[in-house]
Amino acid sequence: MLRRNLMLALALALAGCSTFSPDNPPRVRLATTTSTYNSGLLQELLPPFEESTGIRVQVLAVGTGQALALGERGEVDLVLVHARRREDEFIKQGHGMERRDMMWNDFVILGPPQDPAGLRGGKDAPAALARLKDKRARFVSRADDSGTHIRELALWEEAGGVPVGETFYLEAGQGMGNCLTLADEKEAYILADRGTYVAFSSHLDLEVMVEGDPALRNPYGVMLINPRRHPHVQFAAARKLLDYFTSAAVQRRIEEFRVAGEALFHPAAQMSP
Amino acid sequence: MIFLWEGLAEAARLLWTGDARTYHAVLVSLSCTTAAVSLAALLAVPYGAWLGLYSSTPYRRVQVFTLRVAMSVPTVVLGLLVFAFLSRRGLLGELDLLYTRTAIIVGEFLLAFPLLGSLVYGATARVEARVVETALTLGARRGQALVKVLGEVRPALVAAMLAAFGRCVTELGIAITVGGNLPLHTRTLASTAQLELSRGRFAAALAPGFLLLVLAAGATMLASWPERNSRP
Repeated sequence: MLRRNLMLALALALAGCSTFSPDNPPRVRLATTTSTYNSGLLQELLPPFEESTGIRVQVLAVGTGQALALGERGEVDLVLVHARRREDEFIKQGHGMERRDMMWNDFVILGPPQDPAGLRGGKDAPAALARLKDKRARFVSRADDSGTHIRELALWEEAGGVPVGETFYLEAGQGMGNCLTLADEKEAYILADRGTYVAFSSHLDLEVMVEGDPALRNPYGVMLINPRRHPHVQFAAARKLLDYFTSAAVQRRIEEFRVAGEALFHPAAQMSP
Repeated sequence: MIFLWEGLAEAARLLWTGDARTYHAVLVSLSCTTAAVSLAALLAVPYGAWLGLYSSTPYRRVQVFTLRVAMSVPTVVLGLLVFAFLSRRGLLGELDLLYTRTAIIVGEFLLAFPLLGSLVYGATARVEARVVETALTLGARRGQALVKVLGEVRPALVAAMLAAFGRCVTELGIAITVGGNLPLHTRTLASTAQLELSRGRFAAALAPGFLLLVLAAGATMLASWPERNSRP
């Protein structure tokens, strides 16, 4: 009696679960970085696509490292990330294909208003980091294998080496927002993407110290997961989304997108002047 | 500081205006947690009571030890464990359950089971062996004796269920790792809070927190209702 009730309850619960997730219309999964999602850009670009094609897009907003890992395992149908060297590797290893530039945004180096290292107004990012190291001014590193972290490391390399282990180099291991808050509380310098900084600026004392260096440009690439490696991917639907992202109309919409009155992303066509 | 008030106001506004995403997140949080805790209770309560009452159970101490250690597994690790099985490369990849509410329920089941099991074990282990023996000598079968004892420790059972509910409804690791935080699909109140925080919208991040409190209050009231009725 008890056992029969138990089986019945289990069966009911499982039946409840399965009616829960009807996946009837074609569905594309896009793994992307938090910056594109959190800024609200994708929420603006995707609904018209879903409406005109009937394809549902599920967005997994994770770090670049995780997005590529999900692509490598075939959990998603396309990826939109910003770490050019990793993307090329990803293609070379046969996980991804048809990479296209979609857009770019830029990084800024932020610091406390007192600016103890005297970076304000700088245009040369590696030189600014070298100066930080010289003055032993606090710097918060994402240290989470994200696209921003990868860029941080590249800039430090150019500045003569990553100061891992130094007391002024704080490895946070958290998302951009949490790191900004941390840097603000610790009166430290930090490399941030402009979008997240704009979203957080009303909670922060941090100010822009260095911007406009071409080395701070952050290109976003979108690519398809190789269907030969993962036969189950929604290749045709994913390619439609890829074409849509790089279409003239969407490129224009990217250009016109504003958060708090600021342009955050620029069409990739502007990449080469 | 001011965003604390803004958070409260935001929670009220979202509820008042019938915000679809908010209500959906409430529904996902409630349904997944209820399903997971109920399923876990169905198995963990008899199991914990069995361990507590019958000291002759083979490897009893090992089982209790395992239950207690399993309580400390971080939710992110539980999430990854479920991910490993449900991933397209995993054993159950064919089912295409990754990034669904079912996946969240499976993870939360794993979260609730050891907690319920060890709390019920703790509650029943203190019941004197005499109660069981008396019931048995009076002709009760083992299952019946177990039901009798569970009735005796009902307040502890309610507390265990509420603890499991609270742990599941607030957890983040599972919801994000195997749920994917997909809006209007697998986004829970807790993962909404996390997302809004990462967007720098502090008030909007607090709102789900207040809604969670309301849910917790509701669950507690519901759980203590039969208790109040049975004890005038």
